[in-house]
Amino acid sequence: MNFDATDTIYIALALYALGTLTVLVSLIGKSMRLQHSALVIMIVGFGVHTMWIGTICARTGHPPITNLPETAAFLSWTIFAVELALWIRYRVYAAAFFVYPLVLLLLVVTAVVGEPFAGLPPELRSTLFTSHILLTILGVAGLMIGLAFTVLANAQDKALRSKQRGRLWEWIPSLNVCKVLSYRSLAIGFSVYTIGLITGVMWSYRTNAGPMDLRVKQVGAVVAWMFFAALLQTYISGGYRGRRTILISAGAFVAIIISIMGIARV
Amino acid sequence: MALVLIGLNHRTAPVNVRERLSVPEAKLPEVVRSLHAIEGVDGAALVSTCNRVEAIISSRTEDVITKVVDWLAMQGGSDRESLENHLYILRHVDVVKHLCRVASGLDSMIIGEPQIGGQVRSAFQAAQDLGALDGLLQQVYAQTMRVAKRVRTDTALGEHAVSIPFAAVELAKKIFGDLKGLQVLLLGAGEMGELTAEHLHKQSVKQVFVANRSFNRAVELAERFHGSAVQFDSIEENLATCDIVIASTAAPHYVIEPDQVRRALDARRNRNLFLIDLSVPRNINPDVAGIEGAYLYNVDDLQHVADANLELRQHKAKDAEQIVVREVEDFRKRLVAQDAVPTIVELQQRLETIRAAELEKCLRKLGPITAEQRLAIDLLTMQMVNKILHYPILQLKDVSDEPDRESLRNTIRKIFGLRA
Repeated sequence: MNFDATDTIYIALALYALGTLTVLVSLIGKSMRLQHSALVIMIVGFGVHTMWIGTICARTGHPPITNLPETAAFLSWTIFAVELALWIRYRVYAAAFFVYPLVLLLLVVTAVVGEPFAGLPPELRSTLFTSHILLTILGVAGLMIGLAFTVLANAQDKALRSKQRGRLWEWIPSLNVCKVLSYRSLAIGFSVYTIGLITGVMWSYRTNAGPMDLRVKQVGAVVAWMFFAALLQTYISGGYRGRRTILISAGAFVAIIISIMGIARV
Repeated sequence: MALVLIGLNHRTAPVNVRERLSVPEAKLPEVVRSLHAIEGVDGAALVSTCNRVEAIISSRTEDVITKVVDWLAMQGGSDRESLENHLYILRHVDVVKHLCRVASGLDSMIIGEPQIGGQVRSAFQAAQDLGALDGLLQQVYAQTMRVAKRVRTDTALGEHAVSIPFAAVELAKKIFGDLKGLQVLLLGAGEMGELTAEHLHKQSVKQVFVANRSFNRAVELAERFHGSAVQFDSIEENLATCDIVIASTAAPHYVIEPDQVRRALDARRNRNLFLIDLSVPRNINPDVAGIEGAYLYNVDDLQHVADANLELRQHKAKDAEQIVVREVEDFRKRLVAQDAVPTIVELQQRLETIRAAELEKCLRKLGPITAEQRLAIDLLTMQMVNKILHYPILQLKDVSDEPDRESLRNTIRKIFGLRA
């Protein structure tokens, strides 16, 4: 059996699966040591994942953004990179319970769909298009992390209000940190995502002489944008908290996932 | 080499005995010097806290125990017989296990209390600075602190508050994170309220405001926290600027109502407000708990938090005990292996000397032989010696926990004629 450099994606997948399993076991066993082990495993997986992305870039001459598996893998990588940066800065452990499974899920999509790598068609070889994809993915990563912290903030608020500590109590940072991180991730993610969508529309104008097609991907992206705008508005107006925030977050998450799944081929 | 710990603690001795033996920090070097000067003591350290006094010594013989007990009796100004009723004497690996438990807070009156780790460190450091720690005690010191650190890192044993004021501080941290830069409003001069404000003050909050029916008393309290006294009637204005409110007045009615909190939260642009009601009858209307952004805890709620934390600490203590057991066993194995090394080296040297001498004699008797023949004889004798030594060395290296290890080592030394 020949081992190709692109097969490293399966090693990354196995490591992410192991890291996710470890982090979930640490939640049951309330073990900080296991949490650290999970992080180390995920970082190794991230390293292998980075090598895979490097290989794709070297072979095709562009980032892995041409089809669903590539985009899912790239999004998964970006989400973990953002999570890692936040962990280094704030040492927040609880986000791992949401982020690791998401990272794993996205890479599973890559492995299951498994389309061959392709060079970009000539019409897609433009800075505008690459910027659109990169900015959108970076924006989505920020928004996903923002959602994870929104959920954590909500869990912390509930625990403090009910005076009953839940299973996550020890892992979740202060309510203030959750809210600040959630707001910042959403604000930055939303801004980048918006620019990403605008560049997409501009590219569409340039190539199709029209705004854009209205397929699942595009509709999902716009609906997600509206949900995130509403979520951000609740933060800015100080109306954050409670059921409403969680419902908007869930809507935003579903819209984003539909949008990602709608990527068949660019 | 004998490792011994002789001491007493809050479980074995009443406070009137402990206080007599307790050594103030300033006097510790002098007392350790005197302990180290006892004949037969190779290394010495003394842990003295309000709950325990323990002398840790290493010596070549156990005869020194009697001398140390006499020394302790002398330090406490009591007779040996009455002191002995309160003393415990631990040996070898039990000493390491005990010290690890002590430094981890597992042997404390309140499980997991964080100060004891630092106190044990200071005691050993003082002995180290005096040159009173020999090689063995230095290893014990390093192992103790390593285990204590691991217990705290892996189990977070001491992180949960078990008193009402600390529980309030813990909750404040859960809401706000870092307490620096926060403002605290203390209403009334109840004892528990003062204590809670003091703990918050120690967390470097920005400012403590005190409001009391008697303004003079408010000024007096505010000075204690380097804060400011405010008029009792201006509570609502202060609600808007303060992040934590502690109500501890003797008023028989509510002094904070939901409408006041709602207006304050609007003015705070929905920054959270933590309200701690320590008074009975309560001073804060319980309906405040239903307002978004306001977190209200009364004295019962805080007691529940403290009780739950104590339960949590007890649960975590089980994990901590397992860590201690595993680490101490590793340490024991290292010590056994380390103790066996001189005997193994001597044994090998002794047999090599015999082999070389006998080989030389044999070669002289044989007369001229070829280089190959000489090599073959050399190899044969070497293999014989190695085979003879195989089982004795295996036994010496065996790290299983056998009580007669010392006597086995002495027997081997005797059989092979090594120095006693």
